[in-house]
Amino acid sequence: MVIAFVRTIILYLLIIAGVRLMGKRQVGELEPSELVLALIIADLAAVPMQDFGIPLLTGIIPILTLLSITMIISVLSMKSVKFRALLCGRPSIIVENGKLKQQEMQKNRFTVDELMEELRMKGVNDISTLKYAILETNGQISILPYADQKPPVAKDLSVTPEEAGLPIVLINDGRVLDRNLQSRGYDRNWLNKQLKAHGAKDPKEVYLLTADELGRVYFSSKEDNA
Amino acid sequence: MKRIIIAGAILLLVFVATLSHSFYISSFTGHLTSLLEAAEARAEEEDWAAADELTLSAKSRWDAKGSYLHILLRHSDTDAVYTGFREVIEFIQCQEGGEYSAANARLIAELELLAEAEQLTLKNIL
Repeated sequence: MVIAFVRTIILYLLIIAGVRLMGKRQVGELEPSELVLALIIADLAAVPMQDFGIPLLTGIIPILTLLSITMIISVLSMKSVKFRALLCGRPSIIVENGKLKQQEMQKNRFTVDELMEELRMKGVNDISTLKYAILETNGQISILPYADQKPPVAKDLSVTPEEAGLPIVLINDGRVLDRNLQSRGYDRNWLNKQLKAHGAKDPKEVYLLTADELGRVYFSSKEDNA
Repeated sequence: MKRIIIAGAILLLVFVATLSHSFYISSFTGHLTSLLEAAEARAEEEDWAAADELTLSAKSRWDAKGSYLHILLRHSDTDAVYTGFREVIEFIQCQEGGEYSAANARLIAELELLAEAEQLTLKNIL
């Protein structure tokens, strides 16, 4: 059992180091330590689950060990910037002032095709319009266009749109959410009026009904075959 | 800080528990091995009754810890030792000297390997 404990620590640290060396692109949306935990823990749980000849503790001890190490690592990485940089790496600037930083891309095993794909997904067609593109530690790309390339916001246009706030779901697939209704300050009478106004007789006929802080209602009735 | 202390305490607890287990298994199997070796010495002197008594004593000690061993060791290993005990006792009752000696040696080796596999050594870790 103590062998399982020591092996778990060694393998966990080894795989974290491996994931870090792979570069950020392979990490996806998880931090390296989270990715490693997700990779290992499912397998550890599956082995004693399938093989009855192995004691359950053979799975439990490594899982407990992994969770404890992950907890320690996450607390240490919150407290120490240096430790966090060591564990998760630092964000890499791959486009600066509209120019590609090829060395930085190579260091992160990030290809031009992958960059172009990510930029297209963010609606950027021209790299020269970017002030910065940053490869974050979780493998995602953040883009900062030049100031003159940024879309204008209401403030830039000197307009003051109404603050609609968060729309709350009041009817979800035919079910009335009374708690949401009360939190928005409405009651069943108000709801019945809204249903009538949208041509519905019963909440069961409604697929989705939301109301925002300005009282604006979104209504979607159920389709016949739904 | 509280979370790091809890996680550290769990790690320490698991480490101490597993280390204690490896020491316990080593001492437990060592005791059984010495009983089996004493039984063999008696059998060589043709004192089959004493050999039988010592081997049964070793088996009853093993059986007494059956649940603990079953929970912490691979079941194939505990089953092999159990089978080994049954085999050795049968050969003692039949007073088959050569067969008994071979079976007893196999059982002792199984117990030693069982303990060895649980020890915190570089060989086992790698």
